[in-house]
Amino acid sequence: ERGGNNSFTHEALTLKYKLDNQFELVFVVGFQKILTLTYVDKLIDDVHKEFRDKYRNEFQQKGTLGLLNGTFDFKDDFMRLLRDAEESSKVRAPTVMKTFEQSLKSQKTVKCMIETRGEKPKEKVKNKKNKSSKKEGTEAVAASSKASAGDKQPSAAGEREELTKDEILQKNREEFFKRHMKAGEKSRSPKPEAQKEKGKKPRVWDLGNSNPKVLDYSNSATNGSAEACPVEEFDPDTALGDRNREPGRLYDLEYESDDEAEEEKVVQNPSKPSAKKGGLGGMFGMLKGLVGSKSLTREDMDPVLEKMKDHLIAKNVAAEIAVQLCESVAKKLEGKVMGTFTTVTSTVKQALQEALVQILQPQRRVDVLRDVMDAQRHRRPYVVTFCGVNGVGKSTNLAKISFWLIENGFSVLIAACDTFRAGAVEQLRTHTRRLNALHPPENHGGRTMVQLYEKGYGKDAAGIAMEAISYARNQGFDVVLVDTAGRMQDNAPLMTALAKLIAVNAPDLVLFVGEALVGNEAVDQLVKFNKALADHSMAQTPRLIDGIVLTKFDTIDDKVGAAISMTYITSKPIVFVGTGQTYCDLRSLNAKAVVAALMKA
Amino acid sequence: AMAGGLEPHLEALQRELGGHDPAVLSVLLALLVVVVTLLIWRFVQGRRSSRKAVLLLGLCDAGKTLLFARLLTGKYRDTQTSITDSSAVYRVSNDKSTSVTLIDLPGHESLRLQFLERFKAAARAIVFVVDSVAFQREVKDVAEFLYQVLIDSTVLQNAPALVVACNKQDVTMAKSAKLIQQQLEKELNTLRVTRSAAPTSLDGSGTGGPAQLGKKGKDFDFSQLPMKVEFVECSARGSKGEEGDADFEDLKKWLAKIA
Repeated sequence: ERGGNNSFTHEALTLKYKLDNQFELVFVVGFQKILTLTYVDKLIDDVHKEFRDKYRNEFQQKGTLGLLNGTFDFKDDFMRLLRDAEESSKVRAPTVMKTFEQSLKSQKTVKCMIETRGEKPKEKVKNKKNKSSKKEGTEAVAASSKASAGDKQPSAAGEREELTKDEILQKNREEFFKRHMKAGEKSRSPKPEAQKEKGKKPRVWDLGNSNPKVLDYSNSATNGSAEACPVEEFDPDTALGDRNREPGRLYDLEYESDDEAEEEKVVQNPSKPSAKKGGLGGMFGMLKGLVGSKSLTREDMDPVLEKMKDHLIAKNVAAEIAVQLCESVAKKLEGKVMGTFTTVTSTVKQALQEALVQILQPQRRVDVLRDVMDAQRHRRPYVVTFCGVNGVGKSTNLAKISFWLIENGFSVLIAACDTFRAGAVEQLRTHTRRLNALHPPENHGGRTMVQLYEKGYGKDAAGIAMEAISYARNQGFDVVLVDTAGRMQDNAPLMTALAKLIAVNAPDLVLFVGEALVGNEAVDQLVKFNKALADHSMAQTPRLIDGIVLTKFDTIDDKVGAAISMTYITSKPIVFVGTGQTYCDLRSLNAKAVVAALMKA
Repeated sequence: AMAGGLEPHLEALQRELGGHDPAVLSVLLALLVVVVTLLIWRFVQGRRSSRKAVLLLGLCDAGKTLLFARLLTGKYRDTQTSITDSSAVYRVSNDKSTSVTLIDLPGHESLRLQFLERFKAAARAIVFVVDSVAFQREVKDVAEFLYQVLIDSTVLQNAPALVVACNKQDVTMAKSAKLIQQQLEKELNTLRVTRSAAPTSLDGSGTGGPAQLGKKGKDFDFSQLPMKVEFVECSARGSKGEEGDADFEDLKKWLAKIA
C-alpha cells in the first residue's frame, strides 16, 4: 500500500522499481546510495520496454507454465542497454567557448568603456546609441553632426545590435564636441542643483501649519463635562438583541447545515457539464470495456481517485495519507487490463478496498493472552506500558484491559506512574477497588487479582515503574500495567522522560492510546512519539510503539478514518478498541467492518 | 388432470401468440434463447470451476513456490518471495486424465489473508507447507496461520482435505512429521483458548468462529477436525541437489488420491 513512492533505501543501497501491471512484472534497479545516477529512470524504462516486447508472446499465450519453463536470456540485451544509458549520461560535447572576436565585448571601443567623472556613467552601448541618436534628431545642432546624422539615422532606425568600430568612434567624437559646446551650460546647471541639495529642507504639508492651534479640532467645551454630550436615542432592543434569551446563559454555536448543502450544490454544478461531456466518451469507454481488453490509463483513473481521496478525507483519514494511498492505488492499477463488464470506478474502488484491508490487517497479530502465558511459564511478569497525549483515555482503557485479563484468570498489578495529573492515583485506586469487588479473592483461590502500586505524586515515573516490576516479580503477579501521564508530542522534556521510562524498563508491549476523533493530528503524534522513543534509546534496535489502542470509538459513527491513519503510519496493529466507559466496552478490530464503513457513501 | 389443466393454458397461449406480429415473436424467441444460453453457460462454468483448486499455503520461505515449480515442470528454479498468486493446471499422473489446478499463494503476513479470502471458496484441497528446519523457531507463527485457515467459516463448511507438507527434509536438522504434528497440536490447543477469549469484534460478529476447534473438554487433536488431515514429508530441493529430482513421492500420491 506504499506503492506511491518508487524508490527504497536500505543501508548503503537505493532501489528503484517499476511495475508493469499488465503482465505483472516488477523491474528493480539497485545502486549505491552515494552515487547519484541520472540515467536510472531512463534505463528502467528502456529495460521494461525491451523485455516486454521481446517476451510478449510468452506472457500472453503460455501463462504460468510458460514462465516456469521459459528461459529468459536477457543478459546481453541488458548489458547493451546499460552501456547505452551510461554513455548517454556521460558524453555531452563540451560547449566550445566563444572566441574573443565573436563576443560583444570586442565591439566596444576603449573610449566608451572609460568612465570620466562628472558625467553620467555609460550603461549600455545600445541605449546610449538610441539616446544619442534621438538627441541628435531633436537638436539640429553641431555643424559636424548634420552629415553624420544622415549616416546615423538608418543605423538608429534599424536598431541594430552590431556596431562597427568606426560608427562608434564617430558617434563618440560628436558627443565630445557637443559636450564641449554645452560645457558652459552644463557646468552651470549642476551647480544650482548642488546648492539645492545642500540643506535638507523640512517637508511642507498642504494642510499643515506650524500653528498647533489651527490643528486642534477638539471642542474645548466637551472634554470633561458630562452634560455636553447630546442625548442619543438609546434603543435597548437593538442593543440587547434577542429578547428571549435567559439572562446569564451562554448559548452554543448554532450548527448551520444549510451552508454546506449550498456549497455542495455549487460544487456539483461545474462538475455536471464535465460529466455530460464525459458522457459520450464514457459511453464509448464503457463499450470498449464490455468488449474487454481496455487498459487503464492515468487520465481514466484521476477523476475517480480524486473523488475517492475526498471521500476518505471526509471520513477523517489524514490528508497526506489519503493522498499517498490514492497514489499507490494508481501505481498498482496503471496499465492493467480490465476484465469484461467492469468499469473504471469499480476497479479503482475494489483496489482501494483491498489496500485498506491490507493496511488494517496487521503484520503480526498481537496476541496478548498468548504472550502472557509465555511470560507466566518463564516466571516473570508481562509488562504493558500505555502512552499517549492528554485526555485520550489511558486510565479508563487500562482499567478495561485489566478487567479483561482478570476474567481470563491473570493477576494484574497496576503501576501508577502518572505522578503529575491531579487525581490520577485516586482514579486508579477507585478502579482497583471496583475490580476487586467484581472479582473478590475468594473466587480466585484466595489471591487478590488486582493491586495498585503507587508512590504518590511528584516522583520519577521511571523509578516507580522499575520498583513496580520487581514487586510484581516477587509477589508473582502475571501482568503489570503501567499508566503514564499524558503528554503532547511537542513537549521535548516530557518525551525524553517517557523514552527513558521505556528504555530503562524494557516493557514487553508498548501501547499507544489514541482517540478515534483525532484527524490529521494522528500522523504528527505517532511520528513524534516513535521518533522520541528511537532517539533516546541506547539499544541497537530501539523499542518503538508495538500496538495501538483506539479509544472513544462509540463517538464516531462511520468516520473511522483515524484507524487507517494510525496503522498506516506505524504499520502496527490496533490491538484494542474502546467503545465506552464501562468495563465491558473493550473490542477487537474487525478490519472488514471498518473498511466497509469507510467505503460506504 | 395435470395434462387436462395444461391444455387449455396451451391453447390460450397459442391464441395469444398467434395474434401478435411474427416479427415481434421472433425477437422474443431470440431473446429467450440468449438468456437461456447465458444461464446454462454460467451454470456450467460455475460447476467446472467450483472446487477444483489445490491451494499451496504456508509461511514465508516455506518452499511453496519451489514446490509449485517442481510439481509442474520437475526443474529447479530460483525463486523470490511471491507477491501475487500463480496458478496452473497439474496433471496428476501420466495415465489418468484427471487434473487439478495448483494455486501458489504468497506467504507474506500482509498478503496471505487477502489471497486466502480470494481462493478459499474454490479450494478442494489445501497443502500447508511447513519449513521443518525453522519449525522450532516459528512454531507459534505456523500454528497461528494454521489456526486462521482452520477457523475460517468457508473452510469449515467445505472441509477440503488438508495435508501438512513438512518441507526441507533434505537438511539434516529437519524435524520429522510426527514431531511437527505433536507440536502443532499442543500449540493449537493453547491458541484456541486464547483466541476465543479475545475481546469480541466491533460489530459483535463472533469471537473466533462459530465453534471452537475440536472438542472442548479434550486436548486438541487433528482427528477432531471435520476434514481429513495428513502429515507427509517432502523436499522440494531434493537430496541430490538442484540437478536431481525433488523428493516428494508421498505428496504426489496424496494429490493423486484427492484428485
